[in-house]
Amino acid sequence: MTGIDIEGGVVKGVQTSRGAIRAKKVAIVTAGRSGQVAAMAGMRLPIESHILQAFVTEGLKPVIDHVVSFGMGHFYISQSDKGGLVFGGDLDFYSSYASRGNLPMKEHVMDAAMTLMPMIGKAKVLRSWGGIMDMTPDGSPIIDKTHIEGLFLDCGWCYGGFKAVPGSGFSLAHLIATGNHHAPAEKFRLDRFRTGRGLMDEEGTGAQHNLH
Amino acid sequence: MRLNCPVCGERDRREFYYGGDAVAMMRPAPDAGVGPWDDYVHLRENPAGQTRDLWHHEAGCGAWLVVTRNTVTHAIKDVALAREAKR
Repeated sequence: MTGIDIEGGVVKGVQTSRGAIRAKKVAIVTAGRSGQVAAMAGMRLPIESHILQAFVTEGLKPVIDHVVSFGMGHFYISQSDKGGLVFGGDLDFYSSYASRGNLPMKEHVMDAAMTLMPMIGKAKVLRSWGGIMDMTPDGSPIIDKTHIEGLFLDCGWCYGGFKAVPGSGFSLAHLIATGNHHAPAEKFRLDRFRTGRGLMDEEGTGAQHNLH
Repeated sequence: MRLNCPVCGERDRREFYYGGDAVAMMRPAPDAGVGPWDDYVHLRENPAGQTRDLWHHEAGCGAWLVVTRNTVTHAIKDVALAREAKR
């Protein structure tokens, strides 16, 4: 996609490398690149994109049968069907689209892993990678209309988007189809930052960038 | 990543606290209204490319720095003291 067509404050479709597609309703659901796509509609979003690293070990016999979240260390771990432990922790804490992380945060995540379950210390890490997280000031997502008629947003999922995809898709579809917010997602308003009403500060740390 | 602090020289990323976009140096007047304050506190260019942001050398000299860097390559182009940087 190369552009969003807007005439008189109403969305008319999108431009692509294979030509134009006309549409009365267009939704931006482009995690990691929400800022660039919204810029095609002349919008700036309350989003900073950050690195989040994840790690996978060699395959092991079954040792963890569910996801474990460790709040104090901001750490999670689960085991894949192939036996590899999949785990991660904090952001690298600066804005980046590089898709790769830094060594200090790898060390921090390994620290948290060893604190929670020292027995995994002998497992060998096979690989790691860095993903791009679209972080909002209050750490919660946005599913809403925009000031442009027919243009919708589903973005700012921070590091929760992957597991929330089915629900967020359902709620966005409801909004697009009916024009009304889906009850479970009705608080994910874009204007909560501008007005200060309805902020969802998940950690009680405040609704500013760089706090979540 | 390493940052070249103008006071201390090149130091490890662990010595620095990230303070977000350098828009923080352009605080609006208290009575500027909702729009400018929303711009200042929430809305971001969030560029995939060159950006300017603030870093605090908290485990070093304590200076606030304005870092010009590339968000795609992590290349550092310039590091300046915030108090001397052009706003």
